[in-house]
Amino acid sequence: MFFRAVASPVRSSLARPCLGLHAIRNSIPAPIVAARHLGIPPLIAQPPGGIVGTVNDPVAIPPPDKLHGSYHWTFERLIALGLVPLTVAPFVSDAALAPAVDSVLVATTLVHSYFGLQSCIIDYIPKREFGKVHDACMWLLLGGTIVTGYGFYKFETEDIGLTGTIAKAWKA
Amino acid sequence: MSSVIAGSVPRMMSSSMRAGTISTVRGMATATSEPARPANSPRMKKFKIYRWNPDEPTSKPSMQDFEVDLNECGPMMLDAIIKIKNEQDATLTFRRSCREGICGSCAMNINGTNTLACLCRIDTDLTQTTKVYPLPHMFVVKDLVPDLTQFYKQYKSIKPYLQRKDYPEDGKENLQSIEDRKKLDGLYECILCACCSTSCPSYWWNQSEYLGPAILLQTYRWLADSRDQATEERKLALENSMSLYRCHTIMNCSRTCPKGLNPGLAIAQIKKSMAL
Repeated sequence: MFFRAVASPVRSSLARPCLGLHAIRNSIPAPIVAARHLGIPPLIAQPPGGIVGTVNDPVAIPPPDKLHGSYHWTFERLIALGLVPLTVAPFVSDAALAPAVDSVLVATTLVHSYFGLQSCIIDYIPKREFGKVHDACMWLLLGGTIVTGYGFYKFETEDIGLTGTIAKAWKA
Repeated sequence: MSSVIAGSVPRMMSSSMRAGTISTVRGMATATSEPARPANSPRMKKFKIYRWNPDEPTSKPSMQDFEVDLNECGPMMLDAIIKIKNEQDATLTFRRSCREGICGSCAMNINGTNTLACLCRIDTDLTQTTKVYPLPHMFVVKDLVPDLTQFYKQYKSIKPYLQRKDYPEDGKENLQSIEDRKKLDGLYECILCACCSTSCPSYWWNQSEYLGPAILLQTYRWLADSRDQATEERKLALENSMSLYRCHTIMNCSRTCPKGLNPGLAIAQIKKSMAL
């Protein structure tokens, strides 16, 4: 029943490029209808004007959590700063140390990109509006990072590693 | 007294004469577009101003064209907007108060930059149209008036006042050295016009949780104050991923500040002081 109710505006909007009468009457935007088909929960409704409480109440202060606050930021910056010498290291390091230096570089880059994408998710898919979709994106990012990490682990231990691959581009 | 009246009569006559000739001169100017003009010919400047009326909620916001003779108008954008409201369309709505950049009321987006209309000169290039919008990504109350409720609620949440655990024994003032006072320069001048916050993309996307550059500059103003004793509580209120750390050093805030302050630097100082 639910499926049929939301399916009709989709069909009519597919049939005609302009907004069908059904879509206007139901006023459900097409992307949201599509999202419902995929089982994605709708956006969480926000209070009018974004105002919670009366105009004289201060905005609520979130519970303090240093792991998502200053510790997170400090670690993020240390990783970013660490990448500077690590990017130069493969050029100057001893050949015997090369796999170790390369592995550290790859691991740090991975953590760095994890933090960067995490920040994008917090910015553009905020939990406030997206709820479980936000959580799903976070898990997807974590899963993707772990899979990528495993891939690089295989690449570093059984193949020539990242630096070797880049160096090959000059020899090819 | 008599000299004032005598002086005013020819001025009135000349202005009414000029008003009578406006239409013909304007027609000539657009037809020939001569670069060299006689000194007294009208310099008609075009303005496009954002209009939206809450009494007609179903009609979309639109841009309305106005023309102002710059010879008859003061040099600042606020002069032009007040002139339009006085002489052309009394329904044009905007906030203004001090006309000298100290109240922060007339903050708006002029030619793509958030600024105070009273501190922004009219672009004298008559071939260009000046566009005026309300502060970006804010709910609009009417025309150029944005809803700053959330902004003020956020300001209230940082407790923008001196907090002490103990008071001087002599019962008098909380003293401060000249050096400590100097740390507040560049912070206390903020007039909370919201130009910086509304120029920040992070504030656009997460306005309900991220405090924004103006409020964080004020947070730092109290963190940097040697007399304030609530430093730890103030820092603890920022220990989450949203309130402070949505700042990605985009620096639109420092670029747009009409008072020449640097909120980006203040936020960096907070982050530095909260780091390990």
